[in-house]
This record gives sequence, C-alpha cells and structure tokens, in this order.
Amino acid sequence: MHSIWAVATNTVKQALRMKIATVFIILLLILLPVMGVTATGDGTIKGRLQTFVSYGLSLTNLLLCLLTIIVSIYSLTSDLQQKQIYTVITKPIRRFQLLLGKLVGVILLDAALLTLFAATIYAITIYIPRFSHVTEEQQNQLNNEFFTARVGLTPAQVDVSKEVLNTYKELEKGGQISELFPGLSRQEIIGRLTTLKKLEKRAAAVGQDLLWEFHNVRPLDPNESLFVKFKYDVSVTPPDSQVFSQWLVGDYRQVKYGTKFETRIYSFERKDAVRTSYEIRVPADAVAQDGYLAVGFLNVPLNDTVVIFPFEDGLEVLYKADTFTANFIRAALLILCRLIFLACLGILSATFLSFPVAILLCLVFFLTASFSGFVVESFDFLSGNLSSVYSYTLKPVVRFLPQFDKFNPAKFLVPGRLLSWSQVARVAGLMVCIRASVLLLVGVLIFSYKEIAKIIV
Amino acid sequence: MEYAVETFSLTKIFSDWWGRAKVYAVDDLNLQVQHNEVFGLLGPNGSGKTTALKLLLGLLHPTKGRALVLGGDGADPKINARIGFLPEESYLYRYLNARETLDFYGRLFGLPARVRKMRIEALLDMVGLTAVANRPVGTFSKGMARRIGLAQALINDPDLLILDEPTTGLDPIGTRQIKDLILKLSERGKTILLSSHLLADVEDVCDRIAILYGGKVQAQGQVKDLLLQTDKRQIITNAISDAAVEKIKQIVQAEHADCVITSPMERLETFFIKTVAAAQQQAQPTSGAVSTTKLGDFLTVTSAGENILDKLVSAPIHQETPPETPTTEQVTPAETLPDEQLLSKLTELVKPSPSDETVKGEKVKTEPVEHKTVEEREAKKSILDQLTGRSTTRNADKEQPDKSATGENTDA
Repeated sequence: MHSIWAVATNTVKQALRMKIATVFIILLLILLPVMGVTATGDGTIKGRLQTFVSYGLSLTNLLLCLLTIIVSIYSLTSDLQQKQIYTVITKPIRRFQLLLGKLVGVILLDAALLTLFAATIYAITIYIPRFSHVTEEQQNQLNNEFFTARVGLTPAQVDVSKEVLNTYKELEKGGQISELFPGLSRQEIIGRLTTLKKLEKRAAAVGQDLLWEFHNVRPLDPNESLFVKFKYDVSVTPPDSQVFSQWLVGDYRQVKYGTKFETRIYSFERKDAVRTSYEIRVPADAVAQDGYLAVGFLNVPLNDTVVIFPFEDGLEVLYKADTFTANFIRAALLILCRLIFLACLGILSATFLSFPVAILLCLVFFLTASFSGFVVESFDFLSGNLSSVYSYTLKPVVRFLPQFDKFNPAKFLVPGRLLSWSQVARVAGLMVCIRASVLLLVGVLIFSYKEIAKIIV
Repeated sequence: MEYAVETFSLTKIFSDWWGRAKVYAVDDLNLQVQHNEVFGLLGPNGSGKTTALKLLLGLLHPTKGRALVLGGDGADPKINARIGFLPEESYLYRYLNARETLDFYGRLFGLPARVRKMRIEALLDMVGLTAVANRPVGTFSKGMARRIGLAQALINDPDLLILDEPTTGLDPIGTRQIKDLILKLSERGKTILLSSHLLADVEDVCDRIAILYGGKVQAQGQVKDLLLQTDKRQIITNAISDAAVEKIKQIVQAEHADCVITSPMERLETFFIKTVAAAQQQAQPTSGAVSTTKLGDFLTVTSAGENILDKLVSAPIHQETPPETPTTEQVTPAETLPDEQLLSKLTELVKPSPSDETVKGEKVKTEPVEHKTVEEREAKKSILDQLTGRSTTRNADKEQPDKSATGENTDA
C-alpha cells in the first residue's frame, strides 16, 4: 500500500511539475470566467445559463479527458523510456502495484481538478442571475426550469401487436392488403400498421378523451408544482390554429371507484396553438400518496379536428425530484467515471506502446466513444456487405467502448432534468467496474511479463 | 544460502523480430559471489556486464539458465528489499529535488517517516549534496546525479549492493570517494557486486573479479592471485646511494637475473588529489570544482540509532590499513550559502590560508588524505584537525600545487 501511495503522489507531482497539468489548469481557469461573462445563449437569462453550463462542462470534460490520456500515458512511458523504472521496479514493489500507483495518482489529480473546475462552473452559474437584473418572473422560470432536477415521465408504450395482427388478418381476409399497401412485404405492412395503431392510441376525436396514468411520481416537495408538458398535432388545422381543451390532473381512481376524495383533482380549460409546446403548472399535491397520478385530456366539442399527441414530445409530466446542486454533483461524477475509464485505457496502452502511438490510439478510442451513437450506427449501416468480418473484428471493439455521448452531463443539466443516482451507478458499474477494470487487468498482465530493460528498436 | 549471488548457465540471447538469435549478450554465465566480498565484473563495452546485472534483477528475462540473488529471485520484492541497485546511469525524476528523490525511494521501501528523514539527511550529507538538497535533480551535473543515485541505492541499508559502473561521470576525487565508500561498506559486511571497465577502480576495491568478453567469462579469481607475478621480485628502498645500487646489481647478476632500477612513479590519482587539495587550501579561484576541507562526513555521519551509518561512525579513524577517505561536498555558493558552522570552523582552523572565501560556481570541495600519513593521522582527534595538520605539513614539504590543475577539476 505504501508503495502504491508513493508512486501515486509521485505521479501527481510529475503532472504538476512537468507543467502538463498546469497548462490545462491555467487554460480552464481563464476560459471559464470569460465564458461566464460572454455566454449569451438565446438572449434570456435562462439561455445564458444553459449555454454557460453546457459549454463550461463540455470544455472541462474535453480538457480533463485529454489531460488524463496524456498524464496516464506519459507517466508510464517516460519511466520506461527515461529508465527511471530501473531504480523503481528493483525496489520492493510489485509491478501491478506500480500500475495501480500510477492509476491512483491520475485519478487523484483528476478528482482534484474536476472538483476545482466543477466548483468554478457551479459558482459562476449561481452568481450569474444575482449579478444580472432578473425579474421575479424570470427567477421563477429559472427555478422551475433550470435550477432544478426534474423527472420527465412519458406515457408507457402500449402493446398493440395483437391488435395489429388482427387488423392484418381482417385486411387479408377482405383482400384489401394489396390494395392498401401495394408492393410491400408483410413485415413492412405490419410495421406501418403498428405505427398507425400507436398513433390511434394517442389521438382523440372531437368529444373523446384520453387518459394517461403514471406511477411512482415522487415530487421533492408537495408544495411545489409539477408540470404537464404537451404539444398538439391535428388532422385539420383550425382557422386560427387554436385548439380548445379541458385537462384534468389528479388521482383518477377516486372518480373511477368512487372512493373518498383525499387529494385534489385539478381542472384546466385552455386554448392553445397547435404544434407548440406548453406546460400546465399543477400543484404537486395532485399526486396521490402512493405516487399515482392521472392526466386526462378532453377534445371539447368546440373543436372540429382530431387532436393527436406526437410520439416524441406529445405529452410529458415533469416534476422536481431533486435539487440542482445534487444534480450537478452527479453530473461531475459522471465525468469522473469517464476519466477513470480513460486513465485505465491510457495505462493499458502505455504498457506496450510508445508515447506517441499510445496517445494516438487513445485519442481514436476517445473520439469513437464520444460519438459512439454515430459510429455504431454508421458501422452497422456500412457493414451490410462484410457483415461477418465486421461483426468479428470492429464490432466487439466498438461495442466494448463506453458511450460517452449517451451520458453527456450537459444533456441533463441544460434542460434541468434529473440525473438519478441509479443512472450514475449504472454508468459507474459499466464503465468503471467492468470496462475499466478489464483494461487495467490486461495492462497488468502485459506489464507483469514485460522485459522492462529490453530495448525495442 | 551459500552465495550472495549465484548464476547457473545464465544465458541471454537477443533475437530479432523473427525470433532468430542475433546477439549472445550473456552466454552460459556461472558466477558465484560470496557474502561480504567485493566482486567486480570487468569487460570492454558490450561484453555483457550490464545485461548480466539486469538479468540478476529481473529487468530482463534469461533465455536460459537461472540466477539466485540472496537465495531467491531478484525480482521478488522480499529480495529487492535487501538490495541496493545503481544502474549504469542515475535515472532520476528530474522534477524532484534531491531530498524528495530519496524520500520517494524510501517510501517504496515502506520506511517510517522518522527513519526516512534521518537516513535522507545522513545520506545527503554523506554524498555531499546537503547544500543542494532542495534543487531539482534535473539541474544536477552528471557527477551530482551519480551521487544521488548512489544515495538512493543505500537508503534501505542493503545487504547486497549492485553497482553498474559506479564511477562513470565522476571526477577523480569523486571516484576515489566512491571507492573508499565501497571499501567501507565492505568492511561493514555488505556484499558488493560491481561492473566496470575502468581497471584501476576494480583493482583498488575488488576482492575477486571476473572478466567478461562476448558474454562469456574469460578469467575469474582473486585479484591478488590473478595479478601476482610469481616469477618476479620487487624491492622498494629509500633513496640510496649509487654505490649501493651498484652493489645490489652485482648481487642480482650473481643470481643470473635481470635487474632494472628506477625511481618509482607516484600514482596519477594520488598526485591529482594532492594537487587539487593543496590548491583548494590556498583558495585558488576556479571555474570548476573547489576542493574544500570538509572531510569524512561522507562516511562519518552521526545518526544515532541509524543502522545504516552508525557503524560508519565507529569505523575508526585510527585504523591503519584502509586509506583515509577523501571527501567531496557539493556546494553552490551562488545560490546556497555554505554551511555557516563549517565555514567558521574552517576559518578558525586553516589560519595559514590567505583567504577562506568560497569561490563562486558549482564546486566540489575535497580533502584527500595521503595514504602515507597514517601515523600522523592517528594522532589527530578530528578530521578537521587532521586537515590543518596536514596542510602545514604539506607546506613544509614545499610542495607547490599546480595552479592550472584546479581548473580541470570540474565535476563532470
């Protein structure tokens, strides 16, 4: 343990004194406040904060990732190239302890720097509204939409496969298949029918209503509000593009089973433009004790159109589940997971590659992981002709890499969405406990059998 | 565990990319280094000395054969804890200063902070780097780096010291000091395995040697046995008269033997150290190293309760056989003031000197001790006393130091 710690502190000293880390620290400490002042976003205070947090975290993330790659690789390759390792490895330290020491050092450095920069970003974010002229209304909006950690619940997917099959059989019996869907295969037809059926479930004809039920709704504070966010699509656009509606939010079971009313049911009569997002603010006490909440929509007879809630952003129930601060800390932890993974990757590549080659390899992996969604899709798409070659070579590698873009912290903080502990734990588990450990283990294996003094030309 | 180091047909073949044997760096090496001996591996460049040492320490894997170090595997941490290793160059972390460097290595051994601190100060003092202890070792000259490299090899008070060309990059004075240190350590029961191609070094300190060439041992044995010319005799006398010389010649001719009579030459090393020391005592300005009078603490550091050096303290100054240790101390008067105490002592003791100002620049201060002044030394109580004593003696001997010589005494 003492030897691991000795190597770890030495690694931190190296990074700081060789001015590798210093460059990054100065750069960030200058850039972050500058960004805080210059960020404008869409002109509103909320936009400004969103832009700052998004760019600030992305920049910190990028620079720390690069720093981690460089330090973790340099620390080991320089020892090997400049041969300090001769005097280190001949001391009573096992080789895996040396690697662990380097890793602990890099992680310590990362953790310290991440704390520093995250605190800077946090402080600036908190202080921007205080130094700007913010009206009470704006402040309220900020509190509800930015300085919060909201959970968004969308309606559960309805299983329509049986209905679709029945419809298909009926159409087939009636001989209408070729008439309605000329030249399409059975699978394609079923796909189309499924979409139609699903949309049907999200559509209300004039006079019809729709009911969505949500479970496990846990607002942080029942005295605050929750929000029903919706967007209409219509079959026939009304002359003024406006749709009349009545909304009911509350514990529907009280009505359904006629039990005693324990929580309030709120009713809203509205007139909203089509294809635009709105949020209905509802007191959070509408949620039942057991976390049940129902949202009802009535297409009132004043309309003359079918109202459809689109798949993507048709309906969502939002409520504050945690504070901005807690969310911010979890976002920083997400970055730390990423850094630990990269540190392990760096150390692994340093065990068998020289500095420049290892850097190149890690950068390729880093970029691939950063755009993993795009990379995976495009490989899957392009590999049609050489599927077996692809699926046995590149695919496992690409699949093994973590998907940094899937858990981008800005994605949660900018819209004020909750990044839950379980999500962080999942990332930590997959990225650090499984992937990073595998990398480190391979690194230790390679390094344990390496001939330290062998000159490779 | 009969031997400190033992190898069995140790072979290292460097092969090319295709696995074809390219170089036999070490070929069927069988070495036995006994406990408490100074063993020298000799050989020209590329003869496999360094490779052999790396094989012992597990830095390279043998192609064939096996090596036992202190009865175990040289890569085993338990064995490593008892070994001190100085590689062919002192590979140091440039960004650490001398004290931190030693602290780092001390921590690798898991030495408690108190012991570490004590040993570090003792070692820094011993290698004469106390004055520059807070300077990054990246700024050190090669000689200074060598000294700190040696200090790190001693931090764990090792039983076995493996030194790869310990004197490279050191000036003659530094070399002398290292050699004396080796002898002192050997007295204390350490086993020392060193490699070198500097024959004089090996000859001075080694009990036994092996000469390597092409990775094979060409000769092995006691230095005395290997070098002793049993078919010749040497007689050394004081400056006797020519008549007496003639008589001796006659006697020898009567034995039907050849006879050559000359005046013996002083060893250049001895002469050099003497010259530099004398010049230093006159405070000759030099752009290179400056000899000073701080002596002995290389090996006579007091560190109570410290295993590593306490025996050195007790290593008697009155002892007759081993040559007294010349000492080097690195100081940087430009940046770091020399030890005040030391200076005051110096000014007090070396009164005959015209001036005692420290000369600017990075300096080596040295006080060599002639081997012939043992008796005189015996009478002295402290090292500094000796110094003054000797300086007067030397002046009386009207030995004129060569002023130009000091200029060359640059710590490489």
